[in-house]
Amino acid sequence: MLKDYLLMSLANITRRRLRSWLTMLGIFIGIAAVVGLIGLGEGLRTAISAQFGFLGTDVLSVRAQGLDFAGPPGIGVVEPLTEDLIKPIEGVNGVEAVIPRYVESGTLEFNDVQGIGYAMSMPGGKNRKLVETMINMKVVQGRLLKEGDTYLVLLGNNFLSSDAFGKPINAGDRVLISGRPFEVVGIMEKKGSFLFDNIVVMEEDVMLDLFRNGSRDDINILGVKVQDVSRMDRVKEDIEKVLRKERSVKKGEEDFTVESPQNAIESLNSTLFAIQLFVYIIASISLVVGGIGITNTMYTAVLERTREIGIMKAIGAKNSVIFSLFAIESGLMGMVGGLIGILLGMLLAYGGAAAGRAAFGFDLIQANVSPMLILGALIFSFVIGLSAGIVPALQASRMQPVDALRFVK
Amino acid sequence: MRADEMRYSLQNLVHRKTRSFLTVLSILIGVMAIYALISFGLGINNYVNTLADEAGASMLFLMSKGAAAPGMDTNFYVTGADLDFVERINGVSQATGMYMGVGEIVSGKEKAYNFIAGLDPDSIDFIDRAMTVKVDKGRNLEDGDMNNVVLGYNYLLDDKIFKRGLRLGERVEINGEPFSIVGFYEEVGNPQDDGNVYLSFDMFESMFPDKADKFGYALIEADKGTDPEGLAKTIEDKLRKRRGEDVGKESFYVQTYADLLETFGTVIDVIVGMLILIALISVVVASVNIMNTMYTAVLERTKEIGIMKAIGARNEDILFIFIFEAGVLGMIGGVLGVLSGYLVSSAAGAIAAAVGYSALQPIFPWYLSAGCILFAFVVGAGSGVLPAMQASRQQPVDALRYE
Repeated sequence: MLKDYLLMSLANITRRRLRSWLTMLGIFIGIAAVVGLIGLGEGLRTAISAQFGFLGTDVLSVRAQGLDFAGPPGIGVVEPLTEDLIKPIEGVNGVEAVIPRYVESGTLEFNDVQGIGYAMSMPGGKNRKLVETMINMKVVQGRLLKEGDTYLVLLGNNFLSSDAFGKPINAGDRVLISGRPFEVVGIMEKKGSFLFDNIVVMEEDVMLDLFRNGSRDDINILGVKVQDVSRMDRVKEDIEKVLRKERSVKKGEEDFTVESPQNAIESLNSTLFAIQLFVYIIASISLVVGGIGITNTMYTAVLERTREIGIMKAIGAKNSVIFSLFAIESGLMGMVGGLIGILLGMLLAYGGAAAGRAAFGFDLIQANVSPMLILGALIFSFVIGLSAGIVPALQASRMQPVDALRFVK
Repeated sequence: MRADEMRYSLQNLVHRKTRSFLTVLSILIGVMAIYALISFGLGINNYVNTLADEAGASMLFLMSKGAAAPGMDTNFYVTGADLDFVERINGVSQATGMYMGVGEIVSGKEKAYNFIAGLDPDSIDFIDRAMTVKVDKGRNLEDGDMNNVVLGYNYLLDDKIFKRGLRLGERVEINGEPFSIVGFYEEVGNPQDDGNVYLSFDMFESMFPDKADKFGYALIEADKGTDPEGLAKTIEDKLRKRRGEDVGKESFYVQTYADLLETFGTVIDVIVGMLILIALISVVVASVNIMNTMYTAVLERTKEIGIMKAIGARNEDILFIFIFEAGVLGMIGGVLGVLSGYLVSSAAGAIAAAVGYSALQPIFPWYLSAGCILFAFVVGAGSGVLPAMQASRQQPVDALRYE
């Protein structure tokens, strides 16, 4: 039965070829826009999220409170974190290591060109290995930093791959950092993160001696490695308790935050999602317009086939049969339009991502058209077609056979 | 005039009401989106331009480089001696440094984090003029104001920064120091500036001893009749020499206010442009709908076309009838789209004002409405061209025979 409906609908769609094409064109432009934007949006979101992974995934970050948008962590805080907080946090049950990280801005001069950016500290002792694994540090040239590397720095990949300094900086080159001579000991792998690819890594002691008069206070961010990731929330609460006592603030009046990586990514994602949603809504307008086009075509089809409907009813077709016939026809138009739209949208997303990678050199801009997205778009386009056809189909099904038969164009 | 043809077209549109209505609806939606987006884009541009006019073209900014928000990067700064030097440069009328810091503001049991600006009370008139704001409740900061503070507009409001809005004479605590409120700035129109805290130089320096004599940026006013672009270059050259820095390795830059606003305006234009491009997709779809409707209309009226041709209608008459019909569909959609776009923008503007962005307001110049309606007409007429050509080229005999 259903097969007959389908065949008949298909026959009708192909009969008025030009009109069907035009109707479906509306849907597939809309679906292509939505699929393309979503496919690209997911990739962009991943790329942007990666920019903020200052620490690894199983690490809690402790920051002093202040204005988040003033710059990198630790800039724009009111009561900076101090060295004497490290011991008490280390004493919390379930904490494996507490790693203070220092960030300092400065100039880097090479080939008579000067740039401004950030230097990040590399701790010594057992914490060195931890930091290296946490952020998965690897070199493409030279080697990583090791104990006693005074006046040696490790650079992010952009120093090698971009021509910001007129020519690439290689391991072994000499650079001036805030006026002091350093030798480049290695270049790190490309991370696809703006922060890490442009960073200068320097031994903690060297940074503190040269730029902070040896002071270990004013910690930009404290990384806390947890022994058991499944107990992270518990450890987080305990650290908050200890810090409240150390900094003598009451619950609810904390002047610091302890954040798990999930928290950080979630809050970023919700902002990005709001922006994405706005773009999708504007793109979806074209789908609504496409739906209206289907309604329009179906009205015409019903009008054209009034006599056919009369004949079908006269030989025993029930209202429901006529309704399904037209509903299936418009649903099918939506779905075929959706199918072509999905293909075009994938082209758009992957092409756009490739263009983005070429233009910005960010490997992380990946298009991601997931099976869920494809299925969703297909169902969505079918539903649009179907709902656009409901009113015309109802009109067709409610015709009186006698009136329909008498109808002249 | 082709009055008869026009009347005939209009009659046909009325005759197939549902179809005309749906076609109009489809173009209406697209025009609405575009009208709303452009009215916001123009509104922002307009706001930026008024700023540029009010502040006068004679303002310049001297900013330290560095990688954080202005004034937050303590490794790069401008000193008081730098500013004295700048003030002596020919063409400079006056210059004043601005301190920037972050503060924890406590009122009762609540607290908030916001930027603190340190101002020179002697230059307050100049600063207000440059920033195009003034204190409209209470008074400005004065020499010797230690534990007195002037706050941004949002502190006055309930449920904005604190649950209950603050009043003149009330006490707040900033980074642990007690203050009494002596003034409030008028509304700027964005939550960042309206949340600022203003202290006198002396108080700022005593609260942030590390930042004393390290200004994040400075405001400079050019003498009347001096070209600010040229002055910016002169200041850059002279200050570079004074600070002993090489060309291209400056740790500061000088920008005219007009340049700064232009950069901002360009960014906004790019964003609005992208959104309009996406919204244009729906207009393309709508144009396909119009084309579809017109093809159907041509098909339906094949016989009529034949009769018209048989009694002497020329090809161009038929062409005109169908293109005009499509154009009218587009134009009606355009008019309704502009009306609904106006409603949408006004509502969105009210929402933006309610959440603190009162600077973000749409404007509705007559040329925008006219342009949108014209655009819709052109899109409609353009979509009708192919179907109309098909209609006009029919052989009368074939058309008459058509069933």
